[in-house]
Amino acid sequence: MESTPPNLNPIALSPWQIFWQRLKRRRIAMIGGVILIGLYLISLFAGFVAPYTHDRLDRDRFFHPPTRPQLEGFHLVVPRYEQQPGNFIYHAVQGDTQPIRFFVHGEKYKLFGLIPASIHLFGTGDDKYPVYLLGTDQFGRDVFSRLLYGSQISLSIGVIGILLSFTFGLIIGGISGYFSGATDTVIMRLCELIMSVPALYLIISLRATFPPSMTSAQIYAMIIVILSFIGWAGMARVIRGMTLSLREQQFILAARALGQSDFKIIVRHILPNTFSYVIVAATLSVPYYILGEVVLSFLGVGIQEPSASWGLMLNAAQNTEYLKNYPWLLAPGAAIFVTVLAFNFLGDGLRDAADTKSI
Amino acid sequence: MWSFLFKRLLHMIPLLLGVSLLTFLLMAMAPGDYFTALSQNPQISPETIANLKAKFHLGQPWYVQYFYWLKNILHGEFGYSMAYKIPATALIFERLWNTFLLSFFAMIIAWGIAIPLGIWAAVKKDSWADRGCSLVAFVGLSVPDVLLALLALWFAAATGWFPVGGAQSPIHDLLTPMQQFWDCAYHLILPALVLAAADLAGIMRRMRSCLLDTLRAEYVTAARARGLGEGWVIYKHALRNAINPLLTIFGYSLAALLSGAFIVENIMAWPGLGRLTIEAFFAKDSYLVVDCVVMATALLVVGNFIADLMLAWSDPRIRLK
Amino acid sequence: MALLEIKNLKMDFGAGADALRAVDGVSLTIGASETVCLVGESGCGKSVTALSIARLVATPPANYVGGEILLNGQDTLKMSNGELQKIRGGVVSYVFQDPGASLNPVFRIGNQIKESLKLHRPLTRPSATLSPAGGEGRGEGVRVLKNVITDYDTEVIRLLKLVGIPAPESRIRNYPFEMSGGMQQRVMIAMALASEPKLLVADEPTTALDVTIQAQILDLLSELKRRLGMAILLITHNLGIVGDMADRVAVMYAGQIVELSPARELLRRPLHPYTKALINSVPKLAGGASRLSAIPGNVPRIGNFPPGCRFAPRCPIAKPECSEKIPELLEVEPGRFVRCPFWK
Repeated sequence: MESTPPNLNPIALSPWQIFWQRLKRRRIAMIGGVILIGLYLISLFAGFVAPYTHDRLDRDRFFHPPTRPQLEGFHLVVPRYEQQPGNFIYHAVQGDTQPIRFFVHGEKYKLFGLIPASIHLFGTGDDKYPVYLLGTDQFGRDVFSRLLYGSQISLSIGVIGILLSFTFGLIIGGISGYFSGATDTVIMRLCELIMSVPALYLIISLRATFPPSMTSAQIYAMIIVILSFIGWAGMARVIRGMTLSLREQQFILAARALGQSDFKIIVRHILPNTFSYVIVAATLSVPYYILGEVVLSFLGVGIQEPSASWGLMLNAAQNTEYLKNYPWLLAPGAAIFVTVLAFNFLGDGLRDAADTKSI
Repeated sequence: MWSFLFKRLLHMIPLLLGVSLLTFLLMAMAPGDYFTALSQNPQISPETIANLKAKFHLGQPWYVQYFYWLKNILHGEFGYSMAYKIPATALIFERLWNTFLLSFFAMIIAWGIAIPLGIWAAVKKDSWADRGCSLVAFVGLSVPDVLLALLALWFAAATGWFPVGGAQSPIHDLLTPMQQFWDCAYHLILPALVLAAADLAGIMRRMRSCLLDTLRAEYVTAARARGLGEGWVIYKHALRNAINPLLTIFGYSLAALLSGAFIVENIMAWPGLGRLTIEAFFAKDSYLVVDCVVMATALLVVGNFIADLMLAWSDPRIRLK
Repeated sequence: MALLEIKNLKMDFGAGADALRAVDGVSLTIGASETVCLVGESGCGKSVTALSIARLVATPPANYVGGEILLNGQDTLKMSNGELQKIRGGVVSYVFQDPGASLNPVFRIGNQIKESLKLHRPLTRPSATLSPAGGEGRGEGVRVLKNVITDYDTEVIRLLKLVGIPAPESRIRNYPFEMSGGMQQRVMIAMALASEPKLLVADEPTTALDVTIQAQILDLLSELKRRLGMAILLITHNLGIVGDMADRVAVMYAGQIVELSPARELLRRPLHPYTKALINSVPKLAGGASRLSAIPGNVPRIGNFPPGCRFAPRCPIAKPECSEKIPELLEVEPGRFVRCPFWK
């Protein structure tokens, strides 16, 4: 090899560099990634970006339509809306406006759930001129603010659920494939059992094992546990298959010949080889966890009022009268769609870049 | 082939037993039961409740209950729905039929549209038609069933063209058989379309990639090298092979379809198994929940078995081994 | 007129700035009933050259930028799809490397052979010079004389017998997976012969087979050639089989032919340094304990060819001027062409 002229040997790139270069060329994946970063940042700073808190009731303005900001001179202003007596039809009052101001003082909230604060990104500072960008719901709560607070639950459940179930899936699948024999048989039968029940039916039976009324935090944890209980099985099966084939490779035999322990071989040698698959599969699976929360909350067995989650908010839209007259209640549906689309964009690009065709 | 099918058939029994045992265990772990609510009702005497409990062996440990339940199932008895106060057998099978009807028609619509579209996209790879199809598929994959069903509901309410939920109109029993048939079809069409739309994108993408894979195969080049026409090469040699991997994903597709049906039934008030499950869940009618889960699993397992049958019929490598 | 005349064929993968030249000025002639071997390492362009004869490389990504491929005097690069379908099978048939992948797994082998028969040798024919099947108006001018057959099944069985498949009557209802690799390759050959081609292109027909089977298949090809009198273009990376089969040999390197010679002379006295290196790297059973020599370096990738002589970076006798200009393929002795000015 030493006689090889340099022009025959391109500069070697690490697998990660090759992966990143391929990913950068897929514009649609980059768009998906940027959207997701934006969504998660907004979700992190929900209290600051939202003009109101998720449980603030405006008893004078049920089903308030989305506020239309107007440009007046150099200021964005919002008009005051007046309700027709006897029904929920509102009209903007011409000429009666207030400018939208930035970094206004408003209701108290806790940033990241810890730091008390009262500065909001925008608002009018005057409750007679509310800024309801996506209108209000049947209790007069700001849909936009609830959407942001809801994203904290809906978006985080996807990521935490994936982390939990993929960790279990990786470990259990790795053990199953590496040891084979009886352990393998039992684990694989269990996976098969879980995967042969249509997911939502299993989710509901699992839900039944928890008490009907719990605190928000308990419900949140419960949803993650339920979704992960179902999710690990598929992952474990694939990882087992990969482990089975990796186990026969020379470098594993070499590690065993050097006297490394089984656990160390699984964790240090086998699992890293499955990472590109795992990352792609995880990205493409997050939507299922988000949708799992949405469906549970939508059916009334997940997140409970007055907390906000996208599924719970959609529940109100189930009423056809509401749906017909107040279509802005479907806004969480659009948010779910954008999130899932972004994950699919990114996941698809990752898959092409990682060249793991089998997913 | 027979040993393959026999093995698959035999495989279904422990699977269904396992699923029923698992669900039963989960129900046994559930706090409270139907009688907790009943016993708080002052109009029902404690004796009545005790009688009912004894009848359902509710005083016994869960595994004893399970064996009684299993014994009844094997006699074709699904017990008695405590919440509906009617025999569960009729209820279950009525709901099962509805879910089957909805899923079956959704499947026909989805596969009927997705397969030709997938073939078209693969044959016209990288054309505008292909790109359009894959963009639509991407969007379709990302629209959650919940949103799609709500939009359909909105559409029905706004236009009045379709019924807003339900499986038949209130005057159904007064109609002639022909009118009853059209009444059913009229109620079925929107939920079936929603369910099909949710399923369509995935199948289309899969069809496209399967056909592209087989179009790259060497036997396709070999067929071209023999002078066969392009249409013959694609529609006989490539497509015939692309069907096999598609049949193997049938099971996944069916599982997704049944979960989707669960959502559509609940939003669009279609009286199927999914809706019954939720109703039974809220009524704490544990037996009914178990029955529903087992029946839904059975539907999926039988569907998979039919897919295996089709695969064996389609792929000589399986048929002759 | 030679049966096949490839003149200065140039083919790119991709177009415009991203174009990668895969075949760069290949010229090759095959006479009727002649066997020519095309030898080279993988990726040197020998397979795409062979596939180009019946224009079997998909365009795009392939892009023919120059040259002609005259088959029976007609340029296949300029043919319509209808005409191409006539000559595919009708004039030139292919046998590929992996018979397991080249036979359609879901159809019985009898049906697959029959498909070729129906296409190129229809049963009823008013005159012996009728243009091949496939519809009116297409492929006019490509007229090939074929033997008359009266019954497809009989002909399929005759073909299977011809390629040495035992009990062909029971085999016609088999699926490919029910046969061994060697039997599958025999079926492929039977299928290629079914249309009675003038030229059989065998693209590494033995690479995927067991060593013992390889010799059988090569013997079969020699035997068939003797009996049927067709021309064979045998593509291989194995110089060891050249001597038994070929009349002439073309050695390809990095998209170009570097040496073209009668087979015996080439093996006895190779002229191009690359050919010498190739021959020295083949292990010999007889001939004492001479050391095997590997060729230093790697085959250059398409699009990354060195300037000047493409073999220069790996050549033991390279001189500075080798990297300046691509040498011409010159006839240095009667019938012997070499692309190296320092061949002596």
